Amino acid sequence: MMNKTSLIAIALLVFMGFFPLFVDSAWLAVGTTFLVFSVVALSQDIILGRAGVFHMGHAMFFGLGAYTTAILNVNFGLPILATWAPAVLVPMLVAFVMVAPIIHLRGDYLLVATIGFNIIFIQVLENDIFGLTGGPNGLFGIDVVRVLGFDFSSQTHMYYMAFILLGITLFIMRNLDKSKFGRAMFYIHKDEIAAQSMGINVRYFKLYAFILGAGIAGAAGSMFSVQYSAVSPEAFNVTQSIMFFTIVLVGGSASLPGVLIGTFVMFVLPEMFREFETARYLVFGVAMILTMILRPRGIWPVRFGNIPDFLKKGVK
Amino acid sequence: MSEYILEISHVSKYFQGLVAINDLSMKVKKGQIYGIIGPNGAGKTTLFNCITGIYRPEIGQILWKGKDIKGSNPYKIAELGILRTFQTIRLFAEMSVAENIMSGRHIKSKQRWYNGVIPTPAYVRDEKANWEKVGELMDFFNLTEYATIPAGDLSYGIQRRIEMARALAAEPELLILDEPAAGLNENETLELTQTIRKIQEMGVTIMMIEHDMEMVMSLSEYITVINFGAKISEGVPSFVQDDPVVIEAYIGSDEEDEDE
Amino acid sequence: MDIFLQQMVNGLTIGSLYALVALGYTMVYGVMRLINFAHGDLVAFSAFIGLSVYAQIFGESVTSLIAVITVFVFTAAIVAFVGVLLERLAYRPLRTAPRLSAVVSALGAGLVIQNSVMLIWGPNMKIFPSNLFPATIWEIGGIVITFTQVMILGLSSVLMVGLYFFIHQTKIGTAIRAVAIDQDAAKLMGINVNRIVMIIFIIGSSLGAVAGLFIGTYYRGVTFDMGWMYGLNAFVAAIMGGIGNIPGAMLGGLLLGLFNAMITGYISTQWAETFTFVLLIAILVFRPTGILGETVAEKV
Repeated sequence: MMNKTSLIAIALLVFMGFFPLFVDSAWLAVGTTFLVFSVVALSQDIILGRAGVFHMGHAMFFGLGAYTTAILNVNFGLPILATWAPAVLVPMLVAFVMVAPIIHLRGDYLLVATIGFNIIFIQVLENDIFGLTGGPNGLFGIDVVRVLGFDFSSQTHMYYMAFILLGITLFIMRNLDKSKFGRAMFYIHKDEIAAQSMGINVRYFKLYAFILGAGIAGAAGSMFSVQYSAVSPEAFNVTQSIMFFTIVLVGGSASLPGVLIGTFVMFVLPEMFREFETARYLVFGVAMILTMILRPRGIWPVRFGNIPDFLKKGVK
Repeated sequence: MSEYILEISHVSKYFQGLVAINDLSMKVKKGQIYGIIGPNGAGKTTLFNCITGIYRPEIGQILWKGKDIKGSNPYKIAELGILRTFQTIRLFAEMSVAENIMSGRHIKSKQRWYNGVIPTPAYVRDEKANWEKVGELMDFFNLTEYATIPAGDLSYGIQRRIEMARALAAEPELLILDEPAAGLNENETLELTQTIRKIQEMGVTIMMIEHDMEMVMSLSEYITVINFGAKISEGVPSFVQDDPVVIEAYIGSDEEDEDE
Repeated sequence: MDIFLQQMVNGLTIGSLYALVALGYTMVYGVMRLINFAHGDLVAFSAFIGLSVYAQIFGESVTSLIAVITVFVFTAAIVAFVGVLLERLAYRPLRTAPRLSAVVSALGAGLVIQNSVMLIWGPNMKIFPSNLFPATIWEIGGIVITFTQVMILGLSSVLMVGLYFFIHQTKIGTAIRAVAIDQDAAKLMGINVNRIVMIIFIIGSSLGAVAGLFIGTYYRGVTFDMGWMYGLNAFVAAIMGGIGNIPGAMLGGLLLGLFNAMITGYISTQWAETFTFVLLIAILVFRPTGILGETVAEKV
């Protein structure tokens, strides 16, 4: 039983798998960044699209992962492999500590608070706190991944590592959507009072979304820092957060294909139109408005009704 | 433990200095169907919101099996086995009927925190068992044919059934129904009456607000009448029906269809 | 003490600018529940429009009351028109859509305005003429007050008091409050909601235009992308005061201006934004809907 969506998914997977074979290195870099940004956008979508929390500071978690890897590697000489776990755990911990006191705030208030965290994060980086972050220039000379004497140093290696990370992320999202955790997030999103009355601890599941989203974004950040072998604050500022926020809504919140399309539209398309340097973002802004007017729920909106087949038998 | 599972004693709730519930007391026996009636704006729904933790009454006690639950978070009250429906129907409108009912299985689900990320054999069993339970409830409420349809697209009467199925999916000890017959036609009301009886036979205690007098009088074993936030009468249906205070309260008010 | 008073004057000046911009955010939010992310860019746009109006009508070197008034009135009118256009094209089609769709549309509109400014006036900083206001300076007890500061404080106070009375004393003001409380009920009472929304955008954009011109005359240098910074600060001010609440936006603006001035005067400029957001988050932890925002219990 093969439906249309899974056919498209498989075709895309095959295409992405062989992508490095027929592009030059510039496009390979774009492809790798597309994969990394997709992971970040999907993790943003856990918080925004699933739990329905207005979160506009996701670049901070992405940056925390990147800087954790960079600091541990450049300043303390740890191998990249050893920085992976901290790069996931640090954003999770920060998410918990920062978000727990404000998780009860109503939508727009939470939105500006998360923007605030992102701005504070950038100031911490720029002011080179404890001499660790390298200030406005950031940190350079991040190592490549080395396992048992083998160096994953080429661009193609980077691409496939990002590909695997996206695969893992999609696997997690699929499990999330088919578990009581993902469902609880949706219930909270759609009607908080009804969800509470069904025994759902709103605070717990909103925090769960934040912490899981932060961890995945941190993993992507770690990969991003290795890809460019450098990190600097402007890659993780509020403008980037707004981009991830927009990717989710333009693509279709809570929809896996939607978020991937969103990343393509918001990141890869502008790369394709680089020659129209100046007018590029003007057109882009118009496109954002038109997309929302024509597809208010995104280009590929989420479809509910993902239930086991045995329950569909009675459906007429 | 006493024979009452829910004891409400001297509860008062104010909104910006105005009294919404005034020194209200009542006792609900296990297995009973308990009716609450009264004119519009009498504070009936406010009482339900106090029991289910959405509001915190300023004064009084709400004892569940002898323990005060006043002001607990709504999700904790649901975990204790007190589940409700809403007068204004609060379904997850974009989600399918089956997914809506599945929300009732939340507190019964044994999934661990890591199952949001990684499936385990125990998780697979749990997930399957809960969906099966959803299937049973859809059979019970004649909802099977709508399993995949977004709840918000269905008619009023069907939505009321989904809400009851959702609450029942949590295997409640006390089911609180806020005007279950509102907006239903005569046939649907009749069906609902039978359904409520069947739920009672499962051993579930039921409290309900209802304006359909015929239905509430035939179902309830005990009734409290509220007006202006205070109890004006209580007793078995036949007593309440003939109580002059109650008749006075109803004649004094113009509308009987909608609550506050 | 001198620093304190001086920073107080500076803070109130900046605070008035924040307040004027914050009013634009809060009024739109109050009626449409929309964070108008394009508003900051509209403020930047105003400064450039003001420059062009001045150059077109008066050449380069005229100082007179009439010149100033003309620039303000023309700019406010043009920006108000753009504001209304913005609502028509980018927000009205989304009034029944999910709330965040309109937010994305607003972000897109902000990009459009910002990049239009860049394409029209170029990417480099433009300098406001120094002679728009007289260069008069007063020294009172060791603190310096410029003519521009007096104008900013004076005119913003007049506008804010005027707005307050407009909202609370006039028929249109009453209609605006009615729409803010319940759009459907207001519609049933015969209020033309579209017209009210238009009025809101005219007022909000005009106030933003005045703020944009003042930013130009006060700081002199204006850039196409400055709207983000002023917009964000003003938005924070509106949230601090309680978004949707008009006196709240004024209070939030002044409070944030003063707080910023004291932080930069006494502690550090490097960490100014951090302090701003720590203050904001602290306020929200204790008052989740801002200082003057009402806590409305959801009806069940």
